Amino acid sequence: MSTPSSAPIVSARGLRKRFGKTEILHGLDFDIPPGRIYGLVGHNGAGKTTTLNALLGLTQYEGSITVLGQDPFLHRASLMRDVSFISDVASLPRFLKVRELFDMLTNIHPNFSAEKAHQFLDNTDIKPDARIKNLSKGMIAQLHLAVVMAIDAKLLVLDEPTLGLDITYRKRFYRRLLEDYMTEERTLLITTHQVDEIEFMLSDIMFIRDGHLIVHMQMETVSAKFSQLLAEGDAVAAAMALNPIYSETRFGQTAMVFDGVDRAQLEPLGKVSTPSLSDLFVALMQRQTPATGAAK
Amino acid sequence: MKAFLALMKREYLEHKGAFLYAPAVLLAVLAVALLGSVVSGPISEQYDLEIASGTRLFEIGFMMFAGLWWLYLVAALIFYFAGAFSADKRNNAMLFWKSMPVSDLRILVTKFVAGLTQFPAMVLAAVLGTGLLLAVTALIISSRVPGLSAPELVPVLTGFLQVSVAVISFYALALLWYAPFFAWIAALATVVGRWSIPLAILTPAIVSLAENIVFFGRGPQGGYVGRFFMERLQLGPHGDDGQFELFIVDPKPFEAWPHIATLLGSINWVSMAGGFVVAGLLLYAASEYRRRTLNG
Repeated sequence: MSTPSSAPIVSARGLRKRFGKTEILHGLDFDIPPGRIYGLVGHNGAGKTTTLNALLGLTQYEGSITVLGQDPFLHRASLMRDVSFISDVASLPRFLKVRELFDMLTNIHPNFSAEKAHQFLDNTDIKPDARIKNLSKGMIAQLHLAVVMAIDAKLLVLDEPTLGLDITYRKRFYRRLLEDYMTEERTLLITTHQVDEIEFMLSDIMFIRDGHLIVHMQMETVSAKFSQLLAEGDAVAAAMALNPIYSETRFGQTAMVFDGVDRAQLEPLGKVSTPSLSDLFVALMQRQTPATGAAK
Repeated sequence: MKAFLALMKREYLEHKGAFLYAPAVLLAVLAVALLGSVVSGPISEQYDLEIASGTRLFEIGFMMFAGLWWLYLVAALIFYFAGAFSADKRNNAMLFWKSMPVSDLRILVTKFVAGLTQFPAMVLAAVLGTGLLLAVTALIISSRVPGLSAPELVPVLTGFLQVSVAVISFYALALLWYAPFFAWIAALATVVGRWSIPLAILTPAIVSLAENIVFFGRGPQGGYVGRFFMERLQLGPHGDDGQFELFIVDPKPFEAWPHIATLLGSINWVSMAGGFVVAGLLLYAASEYRRRTLNG
């Protein structure tokens, strides 16, 4: 993995987006260095897809974005030589056969390798002469993943790539992504509601809430900054005095999430651990006041 | 160029039903109907038309069928332009195409060029097939009808070539002449889908009506807008002044060039060039609309 000081692959400053009179993104600032695996997490309607669409040049925006040194809205076509994305697994052209799709991509995309794509499909039930419209939803997702992984891109953006797929396929999907695709030169930006499934592979996390970036940090920093405490009995009152950002009672125990509290203070009160991303997400989403400025 | 040809092939694969299969089926039905009737069916001994020869009968039949194929082509192209320019939205494939290193303008221009070249060429192939079919039919009819001089092979082949050249020239010039109308339907389809077909007619009709209401009696009959469109829709000289009756009884073989020269001479080339500019502007506007929307 490269260091965060490398020149960023993506840089956004004051990113705002309005739909009519409603502002969806409220001035996001962030950099994404190369070689990292970023998770962008937020509620429905928080602005995840709008952010990704802006990065991919699919929508207009206010503020400035550079992706691989280019303005994505002005130079989407040339940018797509080095950026690949899946925003909707059902978007492959359904009238084509798999072989026709690969032939077409070979001629359209200078960085697409039909040989690699066929290799990715070797252990699947997808045959080259199969028409896409006749494939199951899972097969189409596999095919789409094979297509994007066969593109030698510097940035891969996945927006809910496993939506509607079963757990077996989702796990295989992410494993192949890590084993067969990710290299030091590539950057991955992924959004999903199943945050626990991608937690193992992430190097960085961004939480977005109501168009504000409330967390932006490396995964190592998450464990240093946030703690989860399971307490019971009298310890609960003592722990509550340390101002947890979130608490809930589970089977007679109280689970609390703390931001910036020394673990040495918490350990006498119960079992201390690093909160899972989903726990942290719930905690931060329910916090009354969004964090001012994303932590890094 | 590779990408352009790949996108042209994409149009072929997506729309071969209307331009390959349907004409092939029509041609097959025509072959069965024509050959079946002249080989096994009764042919009336009553022969009222004063047609100069069996070759002339063939030439007239070929031209009439070329005219019918032209009507088919125009209808198919109207549906093609309305359908192809909204297909990516309708088929939920917009995000896939936007993930390719191809600009929206290039995609739309390719669709437009495909509509004016490869699809008319496929229908022209059906026209020529019809010509050959009619040549055989004419030879059979002439041998069975006492009132006609039996055509010889060489004059029939010469007539086939001459009529083919005239038909191809007419198709090419007409497609260029009507290009801005096709572009108008296509550009509207980018916004409103297949509703562009009625809207393409309704919009100028409403403008013309509004003009007549506002300037009633002070402009030319039908108004400036209506008159412009009526003139712009006219290709070739007005009326035939009994030319067809003369042609039927004329024993001289048909020659394409005088008719092509007449057609070329009747075209307002400034208007033709203006049409190209309008078509270009419409395609550019459509591409800019498509660039700004994920569902456009």
